[in-house]
Amino acid sequence: MANVVRLFDPKQLEGHPEKFFRQAYIWELPVRLTHWVTGISIIVLFLTGLYIGHPILAPAGEPANHFVMGRVREVHFAAALIFIVSFLFRIYWFWVGNNYARSGFPYIWRAAWWREVVGEVIEYLKLRRGRAYLGHNALGGASYTFFIVLLGWFEIFTGLALYSEVNPGGPLDRLFGWVIPLIGGSYKTHMYHHLVAWAFPVFVLMHVYVVLYDAVTLGNGLVGSMISGHKFYQREDVQDDK
Amino acid sequence: MNKPFSPASTYDVLRQHGIDRRDFLQFCITTAAAMGLDAAMVPQVVSAMETKPRIPVIWLHGLECTCCSESFIRSSHPIAQDIVLNMISLDYDDTLQAAAGFQVEEIRQKLIKEHPGGYLLAVEGNAPTADGGVYCTVGGNTFLNVLMETAEHAKAIIAWGSCASNGCVQAARPNPTGAKPIHELISGKPIINVPGCPPIAEVMTGVLTYILTFDELPELDRIGRPKMFYGQRIHDKCYRRAFFDAGQFVEAWDDEGARKGWCLYKMGCRGPTTYNSCSNMKWNGGVSFPIGSGHGCIGCSEANFWDNGPFYQRLSSVVVPGIEATPDKIGAVLGVATAIGVGAHLTATVAHRLSRKPITDKDQPTADKTEQE
Repeated sequence: MANVVRLFDPKQLEGHPEKFFRQAYIWELPVRLTHWVTGISIIVLFLTGLYIGHPILAPAGEPANHFVMGRVREVHFAAALIFIVSFLFRIYWFWVGNNYARSGFPYIWRAAWWREVVGEVIEYLKLRRGRAYLGHNALGGASYTFFIVLLGWFEIFTGLALYSEVNPGGPLDRLFGWVIPLIGGSYKTHMYHHLVAWAFPVFVLMHVYVVLYDAVTLGNGLVGSMISGHKFYQREDVQDDK
Repeated sequence: MNKPFSPASTYDVLRQHGIDRRDFLQFCITTAAAMGLDAAMVPQVVSAMETKPRIPVIWLHGLECTCCSESFIRSSHPIAQDIVLNMISLDYDDTLQAAAGFQVEEIRQKLIKEHPGGYLLAVEGNAPTADGGVYCTVGGNTFLNVLMETAEHAKAIIAWGSCASNGCVQAARPNPTGAKPIHELISGKPIINVPGCPPIAEVMTGVLTYILTFDELPELDRIGRPKMFYGQRIHDKCYRRAFFDAGQFVEAWDDEGARKGWCLYKMGCRGPTTYNSCSNMKWNGGVSFPIGSGHGCIGCSEANFWDNGPFYQRLSSVVVPGIEATPDKIGAVLGVATAIGVGAHLTATVAHRLSRKPITDKDQPTADKTEQE
C-alpha cells in the first residue's frame, strides 16, 4: 500500500545512517517569543472582541460601580498594542534573523513555489509523511503570510483607525483615520474588523492541527522546538530544505 | 424682484429693521457662541456683520424630501429669520420664494450672470444621473443640468443633508436612478458637506453664519464635514455612555434596562459609528434627541446608512455578492467548516494508521553500517 502513513518508527532507522536524527538550532529567541506573544494576544483579542460585539454580562445597580465593558475594551486595546509590537518586531527579525526566520516566504511570482505548495497540499490530502523542512514549508509559509501578516495588517489598520475615533484629530487619527472613509464609514469598518477576526480561530484550528500532525508524522520535535528552538532532522530531509 | 441682490451689510439691514446697536451686539455674541467661538472673536464677528455685504445665496432642491428646509426654518440660535432676512441674501429658493415658474428661473440665470464667482450655492438633495438625469426635472430642465450650470460660477457649495453629501435613501442599493451626492458630481469647487437626515437646524445656521462671518469655509474633516459639528461621535458625548462602560445594556424595548435608561448599543444604536452633534446640541432648540427619547441612533448622517442593515441590529449583514449574513454567522460557518475538515483529516489519518499493513521488506531499511554522531 503506497499511501501508508509513515509515522515515525524507530525500527526504520536501523542500518540507515541517512535517517539518523541530528539536532539543529532553528528558531532564535525572538522568533519563539513573538510566536507565543502573537498567539496569546490573538486569543485574548478574539475573545474580548467577541465580548465587545455581544456584551452578555449585565451588572445590576448604579453604573458608577461597574466598568465591565470598559475593562474588556481596555484589555482588548492593551492586547492589540502588544500584538502590534510583537508583529512589528517579528517583521524586523524577518530581515535580521537567521535564514529560518525568513523561511516560508511566499514567492508567488515563481512557478516552483506554486508547484511546491500544490505538492504539499496533495501530500497532506494523501496522508503522506511529506517532505520535512528545517524551517517553514511553503504551504505553512503561505498560510502564515495570508492569515497573520495580510489579515493581521488589515486588523491592525482597521483596529487603530477605530481606536483613533475616541480622540479625533489626535496622532492616531492623523496616522490611521483615513482608513475609515476608505472602507466606507465607521460602521463598515467595525463590521469588517469583526468579520476578518473570524479568520483567526480558523487559522488557529488548522495551524495547531497541522503542527501536531507534522510533529507526529515527521517525528522531529516540532512542538518542543517552539520552546527550545531546537529541531531534529534526518539527514535526508535537509536535501529538500531551502 | 428687481433687486435680487443687496450690497447692504447685515448691520445695515438690522438697523433698517429698527434694531439698535445694543441688540445688534447681543446678536453677534449669541452667534459667536453658537459657532463655539471664543469671546475674543466677538469683535471679528461684529466687524464682519458691519462691513461685509451680504452674500447672495442660491438654494437648489433636487431629489430630496425638503426635511433639511423644514429643519432649517426651525433654527433657534440664531433663528432662521435672522439668517434669511438679514445675514444672507437668499435670492433663489424654489420652495420658499413667492414667485413661481419662468420668473424664478430667470432670477437664477440673472444671479449667475451678475455675480459670477460671488454667490453661495446651497444644494438640498442630489441629482439622479441615470438615463440623462430625467428622474428629476425642474422647469423642463434636468436637475443635473441646473446643478452643473449653477455650480460652475458658484463661490462655494454647501451640500445640505445626507442626500447632497452622501446619497441617502435614493442612492441606497440598488439606486435605480443613479443618484449621486454633490461631491461626486462636481469637482474643483470648495464643497462643504453637512450630512444628516435632516441636519440639526443650529448646525445648518451655524455653518452659514461661519461662512458669512469669516468669508471662508469652516475647517473640514477628511470627507468635507465641518469639524466643529461633526468632529466627534454621538457615542462619545452621549449621556448614556456611563451605562455602556459599565456594561449595562437594554436587551428589549420593554425590559428593566429600558426603563432605567441603559445603553442602547445592543438594540442597534449607531451612536458609536455616527459623527454628529445630536448628543450635545440636541434637537428642537435643545429639547431632546433620539437616544434621549429611548430610541437608538439610526446613523442618518453617515454614508450609506440605509444599506447598513436593520436599524435594530448591532452588526448587520455583510453585503458580499451572493452572501448576506452577519459577520458572526459567516465566522461560525467558517469555523465549523474548518473543524470538520480537521476532524475528517484526523479521522482518515487514524483510520489509515489502524488499517495499514506491517512494514514490508521494501519499506524496511536493509542492514547497513551505522553511523554515530
